[in-house]
Amino acid sequence: MAIELANIRFHYSKRPNHRVLNIPSWSLSSADQAFVHGPSGGGKSTLLGLLSGLICPVEGQVTVLGERLDTMNSRQRDQFRAASIGYVFQQFNLMPYLNATDNLLLATRFLKRKNTRALNNEIKDLFSALNITEKEWSVPTRDLSIGQQQRVAIARALINKPKLLIADEPTSSLDKANRDAFMELLMPMVAEHQMTLLFVSHDLSLSSYFSRVESLDDFNHLQESK
Amino acid sequence: MLGKLAIQSLWDRKGSVILSLMAMTVSIFVLLAVENIRHQTKENFSNTVSGVDLIVGARTGSLNLLLYSVFRIGNPTNNIHWQTYEDIASSEQVEWAIPISLGDSHKGYRVMGTSKDYFQHFSYGKRHDLEFAKGQAFDQVFDVVLGAEVAKKLGYQLGDKIVLAHGVAAISFSMHDDRPFTVVGILKPTGTPVDQTLHVSLQGIEAIHIDWQQGVKIANSGLSQADLEKANLQPKSITAFMLGLKSKIATFHVQRTINNYAPEPVVAILPGVALSELWRMIAVLENTLLLVSALVFIAACLGVSAMLLASIRERRREIQLLRIVGAPPVVLFLLIELEALIITLVSCVLGAGLLTACLALLKDYFASQYGLHIEINLFTQNSVYLLAAVVSASVVVAVVPSLSGYRKALTN
Repeated sequence: MAIELANIRFHYSKRPNHRVLNIPSWSLSSADQAFVHGPSGGGKSTLLGLLSGLICPVEGQVTVLGERLDTMNSRQRDQFRAASIGYVFQQFNLMPYLNATDNLLLATRFLKRKNTRALNNEIKDLFSALNITEKEWSVPTRDLSIGQQQRVAIARALINKPKLLIADEPTSSLDKANRDAFMELLMPMVAEHQMTLLFVSHDLSLSSYFSRVESLDDFNHLQESK
Repeated sequence: MLGKLAIQSLWDRKGSVILSLMAMTVSIFVLLAVENIRHQTKENFSNTVSGVDLIVGARTGSLNLLLYSVFRIGNPTNNIHWQTYEDIASSEQVEWAIPISLGDSHKGYRVMGTSKDYFQHFSYGKRHDLEFAKGQAFDQVFDVVLGAEVAKKLGYQLGDKIVLAHGVAAISFSMHDDRPFTVVGILKPTGTPVDQTLHVSLQGIEAIHIDWQQGVKIANSGLSQADLEKANLQPKSITAFMLGLKSKIATFHVQRTINNYAPEPVVAILPGVALSELWRMIAVLENTLLLVSALVFIAACLGVSAMLLASIRERRREIQLLRIVGAPPVVLFLLIELEALIITLVSCVLGAGLLTACLALLKDYFASQYGLHIEINLFTQNSVYLLAAVVSASVVVAVVPSLSGYRKALTN
């Protein structure tokens, strides 16, 4: 299993009466590609925060790629995230003042990977696989179009060869043409590297790309807990 | 990588960063300038007189004697008899003695009656002897040797005739206008009160006062220049005198002997000791100046921190991104500290560079206008300590925005 959640309860410490997550059980098997949708404010970002180890559940067990995140300390979680999870946001996936190459190098920094020839070759391979032309490697990423930026964002998320890729509304700021181009680049990459993909969006039209489609409300039982 | 990230991130916000950098640069410039000028004035100050072992005058405080005999500030309390001078100057341990007679002036510059020995034995700075830019020492009764500043400000040349005034006020109503002096020598600049002094012989001082009583000119006696030069111009009293001893070891012994001189109450002071006493008084002012510049610097530090703190809010997403690629919260803390450090270091370099440039440009101006001789050497021990303190202070103040970044990273 890539992800296993058991008896998860979560609320933010500032609002103890406002439960955000109540997931008795949910799992995602390895190399599976799941599409989770739900309204904004429905706890999607909180769920992704739990899975990436940025926040800890109040109760319950979070197991990602066979490791218990809820029992790790924060340094271990940071290391785990750097090594095993790729993450793509809706926007701001890149330091806007760094160029594409430096953004990728920054992402490898916290795994203590040396800036070697091998790493540079990996970056180049990734760029060419994602149709990022050489011209675009060395300009500050803020000068790239949004479509180009999202392609560099995929490269940034994949540079450490994560086993789990989390995508948090990555296409919401793209127009239809760019959105389709994005999906057509992403899905083969995921398949090729046999990654597990958790794709969260409110845009149901994307669900055709996925084998498994779920609504967050189906496994997040907020009504019962009240 | 963190360094590169910090630099690029600062460059990305260059508007506010450059303003903070300027504030910081100006404050470091002021701090270094105050420290440097303080150091230089102290040097200049203690360089005013050297090679003189004792200064002897009528009994008074040592500061007072030092001020009127060396700095030409204030008024002598009393004169001493010529006999006293002769007695002490002829004692065995004394190598040379320079008599000083003060009390007249020329357009606000003090006139000092002395002997030719003055030009031979008096020295300043690190044993620099007095040197003539033009002409030579006085020989005749009505010859005068000008300090560099007097000659420059008043535009005098060799051969010019000048009239001395009775008393030391800038505007005097009683002039020795019947007895003009001729300029025979002009000294090179020394950066000491010597530059502001007119030197005449003791006989000259006697000659212009020959028919005066109680500080008032009685009547024109009709004595001609030639008559005066022939007359007995032996002074009856002088203001003070400087002594050079054959052996430094004897200094305290001679001082004690002079202080116990029975015929007349006189006092002997060591110029070095009196100078450092004087310096301690002035140091209060200098320290105040340093304190003010330190406060200016703290203000600049707080400015940089405020700028960084404000940037944390704008950089919420940057922090989120760093966290997602695995940066622990402590990295965010270090990143903000690093940015503060970079701003401070760049400001240190700019401030020091600016000061060096300013000093190089103003060096000649200071020397000619204020007699202040500045060496351009910023890297004195004190300046290095000061810069180290500057860097540590900025790191400490930057803890505030850095902690804010750390907290943002934890809660994101």
